[in-house]
Parts: sequence; structure tokens; C-alpha cells
Amino acid sequence: MTDALLQVDDLRVTFAVGGRQVRAVDGVSFTVSPGATLAIIGESGSGKTVSCRAVMGLLPTGTAVGGSARLRGTELIGLSDAELRRHRGSDMAMVFQDPARSLNPTMRIGLQITEAITTHRKVSKREAQTQAIELLRLVRMPAAERRFHEYPHQLSGGMRQRVMIAIALACRPKVLFADEATTALDVTTQAQIMELLLDLQQELDMALIMISHDLGLAASYADEVIVMYAGKIVEQAPAAGLFGAGGAVRMRYTRALLDAIPHLERSAHTQLPVVSGRPPDPTALPPGCSFAPRCQYAEDDCLAKMPALTEHVPGHRWACWHPCENGGAA
Amino acid sequence: MVAPLPDITLASPHPPPLPSLVNARRLRTQRLGRALRLWVPAGVLILLLAICFLLPLVVTLPSSTKGDIIVNNEPPFSPGHILGTDVQGVDIFSKLVYGGQVAFEVGISVTLIGIAIGGTLGVIAAYFGGWVDAVISRLFDILIAFPALVLALVIAEGLGPSEMHVIWALSVFGIPAVGRVARGATLTIRGLPFMTAARLAGTRRWRVITRHVVPNIMPNIVTFSLLGLGIIIILEGALDFLGWGIPPPKPSWGNMIANGQQILSVQPEYVLIPSIALLITVASLNMLGDALRERWGTQ
Amino acid sequence: MALVQQTQLQQAEPGARDRARRVAGSPALRMVGRRLLAAIPVLIGVSLLTFTVMSALPNTTAQAILGLNASPAAVAALNHTLGLDQPFWQRYWHWLVNVLHGNLGTSVQGQNVNHELALHVPTTLGLLLYALVASVVLAIIVATLAARKPNGIADRISLAVSMLGLSIAPYAFAFLLIIVFAVKLGWFPVLSGAVTGPASFFKNLTLPAASIGFGLFAIYTRILRADMVEQMQREDYIVTAKAKGVAPWRVLIKHALRNSMFTLITIIGLNLGGLVGAAAIIETIFQVQGIGNDLLTGINNHDVPLVEGITLFFALITVLGSLLADIAYAVLDPRIRYGSSTS
Repeated sequence: MTDALLQVDDLRVTFAVGGRQVRAVDGVSFTVSPGATLAIIGESGSGKTVSCRAVMGLLPTGTAVGGSARLRGTELIGLSDAELRRHRGSDMAMVFQDPARSLNPTMRIGLQITEAITTHRKVSKREAQTQAIELLRLVRMPAAERRFHEYPHQLSGGMRQRVMIAIALACRPKVLFADEATTALDVTTQAQIMELLLDLQQELDMALIMISHDLGLAASYADEVIVMYAGKIVEQAPAAGLFGAGGAVRMRYTRALLDAIPHLERSAHTQLPVVSGRPPDPTALPPGCSFAPRCQYAEDDCLAKMPALTEHVPGHRWACWHPCENGGAA
Repeated sequence: MVAPLPDITLASPHPPPLPSLVNARRLRTQRLGRALRLWVPAGVLILLLAICFLLPLVVTLPSSTKGDIIVNNEPPFSPGHILGTDVQGVDIFSKLVYGGQVAFEVGISVTLIGIAIGGTLGVIAAYFGGWVDAVISRLFDILIAFPALVLALVIAEGLGPSEMHVIWALSVFGIPAVGRVARGATLTIRGLPFMTAARLAGTRRWRVITRHVVPNIMPNIVTFSLLGLGIIIILEGALDFLGWGIPPPKPSWGNMIANGQQILSVQPEYVLIPSIALLITVASLNMLGDALRERWGTQ
Repeated sequence: MALVQQTQLQQAEPGARDRARRVAGSPALRMVGRRLLAAIPVLIGVSLLTFTVMSALPNTTAQAILGLNASPAAVAALNHTLGLDQPFWQRYWHWLVNVLHGNLGTSVQGQNVNHELALHVPTTLGLLLYALVASVVLAIIVATLAARKPNGIADRISLAVSMLGLSIAPYAFAFLLIIVFAVKLGWFPVLSGAVTGPASFFKNLTLPAASIGFGLFAIYTRILRADMVEQMQREDYIVTAKAKGVAPWRVLIKHALRNSMFTLITIIGLNLGGLVGAAAIIETIFQVQGIGNDLLTGINNHDVPLVEGITLFFALITVLGSLLADIAYAVLDPRIRYGSSTS
């Protein structure tokens, strides 16, 4: 196995909300190899965004982060902000969900890109400008030189997201986090941006970590998939091991997510099997499996004891007392 | 004297904290702080009002207008004169108390007139829109453009100084000030879904205004008025200082300062005492306004 | 003329047509134009209000000119000459026409009001500018330091000081400054002397400017600080900046402060009205030879033309100030200047 690019071990993030402690992320571990694509799937509140922000060091001060996250061997957890800043934006970068709000409305986009460059490299203004225009071309922005001088509100949503990607790629990061990067875009643009990200990933030999609630996205583009629920990983496997022919989804939650995707092949006028209920309140997690209250197949042992994430099949881990058999038939 | 900002109200220095990152102990300290910030200024104001309005009813204070030349320039804590006497022998504490009465009377009157007239106009302008809004807004603009102090001075000069004239003159400024806030707040409310729901349900316009609009803009109006009250009191003091406010020998904080001006270098306390009274009053009003804004979360 | 322009444009190359359309149709220009138009009724209204208020007062100009011993007949005659016995609208019209020609009349003292103003306006403007610039600069510095660590020491101090600035009456503060800096320390004169050059400017106008500026500083600091803290805590582009690895001070200044300047400009414009009133009192206290002082003297002397002229001037400044703030906003905010998507 090649040296892991990013190795996360037992990551824990705790907030103090209203006087109480909340475990937003509870023992998350994963490994990302160079050039690989990992998808982290979950509902809002599952901890997927918080985990990645913890690695980047973008959580508000006062949040307790425990565990380990090693980027090319360098331990990130516990570093001071000044030290972490050296990696942020250069070795690892992030693209966010809403490009309309994620770009400073009163700053020309060219300046926002060059800022990413000059923060980490000592180059002249002219040189930074040239690099920035190159980056805009790289993300397939039409009329790159003209766009350099424009403001965010003069661009469409898809173009703004390209700018965000350009900013993220400014220093050729080895890891790119895409936090719901396509969620705020229309479907056509979504596909374009995803294609762009994958092409760039190949060109720059970059690892891509996609955070999303869209299982379909994971199925289409990821090498490996992690499903999170209530701060924990509940299923983890290569994409091939989960979807498509020969794939077998085990954990009941993942199965439920898959079933909730509408297919053309469904017979008309049948009820869409959405997952009932809502994600649990992180301050009041039930004992036992966190998903049990919403699970159709829950039994007594599910409610009593928390299943551990175990590698039952090589390369495929899940945490469920009564997982699906035969790819989810029953 | 720098005008409060009708459209962009002063942001509270204590916006509601983001819902995270406070442990239990810090939370308790924060709650305590918030309570103090509300009740300390409120308490001070109640105390001031009590001293100015209730105390004279209970205790006989020495005259605030006539004094005995023999006992002039007494220092504070002299027998019979807690804060001493001024150049003409008039008791300073009494002057402070009765001057305070004037300050509050004028301030509260102007504020109430402002809310009644300005608030109504502002709500009407925002609710009905169109040319009604255009006319009322222009009216507000014109009144606000007119320097408040100058107007008050001119009125006082023409009609003679008196408390009523001061109230009228300052109302010219108070009405558009409150009006703009009321208008802004109503505009915000008007766009909210529950307003559309009320209209769709067939509620009469008048009921919509009284039942829905007014209760929702009251927090904005109240917090703004507290701030405005402070400004009015300062303006009133300015008028008195220039001699065009409350006519002497009736006492007022402004003319106490003016009288003390002559002997500023030797006996600064004649200027300092009424200045401090002003400061405490206005600061309490401001802090109370802040605390209420914090509690009600208005913008 | 519009037709000629159009045909000319049609023959020009596409680039030029594009550019011309962009300039003429620029949202910023249109907004400025609209604001100017909206300001006109306000100016007219203000002039009318000024005149009405002045007329409502017993007009003792003639009396004042001739002195107390003048006979009623002489006063009446002078009244007639001055046109003071004409009906309201006629007088207003004459006055307005005069004003638009730049003639503000003759004061009771017999001097041309224009002349009076011209002598003293620079001093007042200098004082106001001094107060404004100093308070803005200090406010930016203090607010930035405060916003860096909300609820930290710098923040708490700034909040306390600005509360003080908001609550203290400028005239009271003026006396405090006089006691400390003029009487006890002797750094500045108690009464302002003539301003002849930079040295005398600062020597004479610092205490007056500080009296006016403290209140301004308080307002600006509070608003700036609140705006910046709000941005740092709630805006997504701040997270993006941090994700780039930008250091905290740079994020604060290059991103948050930059955007807060817009709010600041609006506040400055809105506040000019109150500024003018404060200037009048402060000038009196320090005996600064400005038009604020003249106004108060004029009121004491029942000098209606002078008071009219100065009041109108003050009102004009207020309206123009508001207008300027709007224009500055339109010019600087790229969202307004460049309009929407040009893709």
C-alpha cells in the first residue's frame, strides 16, 4: 500500500453548547491515498463537515479536537494556528458550498485568487497575476483575463464556483476537500463542475475528498465511500463494493439512503421509501445504535448496545447488528 | 447633539452569542453580565426619577430659585446644603433636583410626541407605500435636514423661552427621527410571511396594523427612544446653556453649567456637578437601550 | 440631440457602442442622478421651512436697524423699503430668487451676509473637517483592535470609552477638556485665537474639535466594531479567507474592515445634521470665529437676515452631506457600480 497522504485516526470533536458538551465527531478514522477520491456521505448534523474542518483547522476557537490527523506524516491536530496556516491553502485546501457567499463581494476575484498565492509564496504582483490567470484557464473560465478584473456578482453561479476552485488550487494542494461543492448549483452545472474536479484531480495528482448528502454523487465519482451518522462512521467500503453489480450495502442506514433515491424503473404511484424521523439530537444520543430509533429492522440489541465499526469483509466495514443480506433484499 | 441615526440604529455591542462554545461556567457569567447590564442602568434611572420627582414631595428641599447671599459659595457637605450653594446662595442639590425634573419632562414629552406622531406617520408611510410613502419620507427628510438646535433657538428667540416652546421645537426633530425608525421596522415586517397570511385571511387593514405591525415594531421603537431620550436631554441642556431654554431663575442643568462657566478655573465643581448629572442620566439611558436591544435581539 | 447620438453610435464599432452604453446606462450614474433629483424637493422644502420659521417670528429687523428710539413711522417706512410688509409668498419668492443668485441679503449691522459668511465659513469648515477626520481615523484604529478579539481587553475598553462618548454632552466635555488641558496643563488656550496657519490651526482648534469629535468617535467605533465582529463571525467569505491560510489580522483588515467602510460612509453622511448644531455651541464656548458663533450672536441680536442665511447654509450642508455619502456609496460599492452579470 502506498504511503497514506492523509491519515485520520480516532478524530473527536466536542463543542460546548449552552453549557453542555456535544460530541459532533466521535472516533472517525480513514485513510486517503494520493490521487484517490473519497466520498463522505451523511445527513446534516452527521459530522461530515465538522470532521473535515477539524482537519483544516477551521473550527471556531474553543472547540476541543482530539485524535490524530496526519498529512504526509505531519500531525495537524494540536498545531498552533500559525503553524497550521502554513498547510492551509497550500498542502490542503477546501471548496465550499455557496460560492455567492463564500467570495468577498467587494473584492475583484483576481485579487482573491492572488491572495491565495501570495499568502504562501513570495512572488511579485505581476507574477501572481499571471499565475492567477493561468489558474482561471485551468478551471476552464471563459475570457480569463477579463474575468480577472471582475467582481463576484458579475459572474454566474457556476463561474463563481470555478473561481473558488481556482483559489483552492492556487498552491497545488495535495488534498482538496469539496464540502457540498455542487449542492448550490443547478444540475447541468453540477455535472460540469464535477467533471472539472475529476479532470483536475488527474492532472494535478490530487486527492479529492467529497462531502455530500448525495449518495448518487458518491456512486458516480468516488473510489471509496464513507457513510456517517450522528458523528460516527457507520459504513466504509470501496465504491465498487457498495454500488452496482456485485455491490452489497450492509448497514441499514446506507440501505435506506439508497432506497430513498427515486429511480425511473420504479412503478408509478408507489410511495417513496424515505427515512422517517429526524437525525438525533447530538446532546441526547440514545444508547445503542444511533440509527436504531429510525430503523425498520431494529431489534432489542440494537437499542441496547452500540455496534462497533468492524471489517467483516476485507475492505468493507460496517457497524450494524443486523445488516442487510444479499445486497439488501431483506 | 450628534443625531441618533434613524435608519441605521446603533448596533448593540452585545449581539446574541453564536449557539456554541460556551461552557457551563462561562454561560453563567454571561447570563449574570446580561442581567446586570439591564438592571443596573434601569435601577439608576428609577433612582434618578425618584429623586427628581418623589423626593421633593417627601422632603422639603431648600429653594431652588432664591438664595441667601450670606451662605453663597458653600462647599459640598455644608450643613443644610448637601452639595453646597452657588454664587448667589442657591442650594445646588435643589437646583439639580428641579433641573432634573425639567430634563425628564421635556425629554419624555418630546419622545412621546415623537412616538405618537412620528411613529404613526412612519407606519402609515411604510404600510401604504406609493405616493403616501414618498410624501411622508420627503417630509421626514426636510425636517431632519434642519439643524435641531438652530430651529429650537429660533423658535425660542421668536416666541420667548419657555418649557413648552422647547418641547415643540425639539419635537420637530423627534418626530422624523422616530418616524424613520418606525417606517424602517414596518417595511421589514411587511415582507414577512405572516403579514401576507394575515392579509389573505381577510383581516382588516386597521386590525393588521394594530394587531400585527405595532407589537412587532415596539421593541425597535422603544430601544431607539431610549437613545433618543438621551439626545433630547442633551439638546435641552444645550438650549438652557445658551439661555434660550428654560428661563432663569427656574433651574436647569444647562444653565447651571452656563453659570459655572465664569468661575471654571477656580471652582470647576459648579460646572462639573450638573455635567455629571447629565452624564449619569444619559449613560443609563444608553446602557438600558443597549441591554434591551440585546435581550430583544432587534436590529 | 438624442437622435443624433443614436445614429452616431450605430455607425461606431461595437466596442465603442458597448462602452457608451455602459457609461450612460451605468447603474451608478443612474443612482446618483436619482438621488440628486430626490434632493431637490428636500432643498426646496428646507428653504421654505427656514423662511416660514423666520417669518413667523416678529420681524424686528427694521427696528433693530434704526434703533430703539426710532419713531413708528420711520420703522414702518423702512419696513416698506425692505419689502417686509409684503405678503408671505411674495417675500418668499423674492428671497428665493435672491438666494439662487447668491445674494443672502444685508445683515442688521449693515454688512453683506455673503461677506460675513465668506469670512467665517472656512474656520467652521476647518473645525468640522478636523473633528471628522480625527474621529474617523481613531475610530477605525480602535474598532479594528477591538474586533480582533471580541470581549477581550481592547474590546472592553473601547466599549466603555464609546459609551462615555455617546453619553457625555459635547458642551460638558468641552469644559472638562478646558479644565484639564487648558487650565491645569496649559497645553492649549482656553479661548481660540485667530487661525493663521497650520500651527495656530492645531493650537486653537484641537480642543474644540475634540469636543465635537468625541461623540462622533464613539458612534463610529461602535458601529464599525459591531459590523466587523458580525462579519468575522457570520460571513462565509471570512471562512474562505481563513481557508486560504491568510493570517487573522489580514483577514480582519483586508476583508472585514474593507466591507465595513460602506456602513461607515453612510453613517458619516447621516450624522452631518447633528454635527452642525454641535459646532454652533462649541464655537461659542471657545469663541471660535466661525459661522456657528455668528449664528448665535445673530440670534441674540435679532438679526434675521444673518440668521436666515446661516441657517440655510447649515441645512444645505446637511442635505449635501447626505447626498455625498450616497454618491460615495454608489461609486465605491462594486455591486452598484458594475451592475449585474455581464456574461
